[in-house]
Amino acid sequence: MRDEDRQGAEPSDLELVERGRSGEDAALSALAKRHHAAAYRVALSFVREDDLAQDVVQDAFVKAFRALAGFRADASFRTWLLTITANEAKGALRRQGRRKETALEEAEEVRSDEGGPAHDAVLQDESARARKMLEQLPEKQRLSVTLRIDEGLSFKEIGEVIGSSEGAARVNYFHGIRRLRELMA
Amino acid sequence: MSDEMNDQTNAPDCGAVRELIPSFVGNTLSAGERDVVESHVRVCAECDSELALAHILFASRPRVPAGLLGRIERAAATDRRAPARTWWGVSAAAIAALALGIGITSDRTPQATLEVPGYAYEAEEGEIWVSDDGLVAGAPALDDLSDEALLQFLDELTTGAGGGGA
Repeated sequence: MRDEDRQGAEPSDLELVERGRSGEDAALSALAKRHHAAAYRVALSFVREDDLAQDVVQDAFVKAFRALAGFRADASFRTWLLTITANEAKGALRRQGRRKETALEEAEEVRSDEGGPAHDAVLQDESARARKMLEQLPEKQRLSVTLRIDEGLSFKEIGEVIGSSEGAARVNYFHGIRRLRELMA
Repeated sequence: MSDEMNDQTNAPDCGAVRELIPSFVGNTLSAGERDVVESHVRVCAECDSELALAHILFASRPRVPAGLLGRIERAAATDRRAPARTWWGVSAAAIAALALGIGITSDRTPQATLEVPGYAYEAEEGEIWVSDDGLVAGAPALDDLSDEALLQFLDELTTGAGGGGA
């Protein structure tokens, strides 16, 4: 819950939600400031394209704020927002399905040309290499690793976001980590 | 890593340590929990390797575009300035649009079909015309009314006046 670790008297998400429901713009801005980075990284994990990820996050926040009246505190605001973000991202991918497939085919073609020493030198940057390897994981493994490492979500929260059980999220995470270690070896 | 370290791989606390690794790299563990992880990875090559990978991944988190927050705030503010979407307001607006022969327009981009959790709901503008709201569903019947009668009807709707009040 690293995004929710607040110091001092900073209001909780729930307090901000309540104030947002009452029409306080500053409360909604505070929620956006607190969670937009996580939402962006989740969106990017799905759509893998910066511009589209930003569109997704914008739409997700607008829809979340519009639906605040229906938000129930039995889930954290962050998990709720990230679930909406994930659904927005899936919708965006569906809408752009054909174009995305074409883009991925083109990306594959480029990748096939990237086997030389120069490319290997670039990949010596371990961080870039790890992210590259992460992209090769199946979607649910990739998302589970991203949500667990990048955002510190629990397996229960990950399951809610990606639409699986807590146990499946855990299995996907550990399979993903194991596969990454193999790829990085 | 030495064989001695690898011999420790199956130590019973590997599972617990691996659960803690993401929080370790995110720096959200207590001092005691950090000690547990640090002590364990000194003698466990497997967990040490996993911790190193987690460090690399966490350090390489994608950067968030600088303008994204402002963009979200502007979009949210624009959306909040849009007319309220209570069924009552939507119905009145829809009837007024039908009666006066004007369309409802919007400068907002079309919204995607939202698969939100069950506890979230969505009121798309496009749904105004397919609502199962009785007033909207009955709107075509208003074609036979004069403008004056329609305006009176709208007035009664918005003020609650008329209609057999006591």
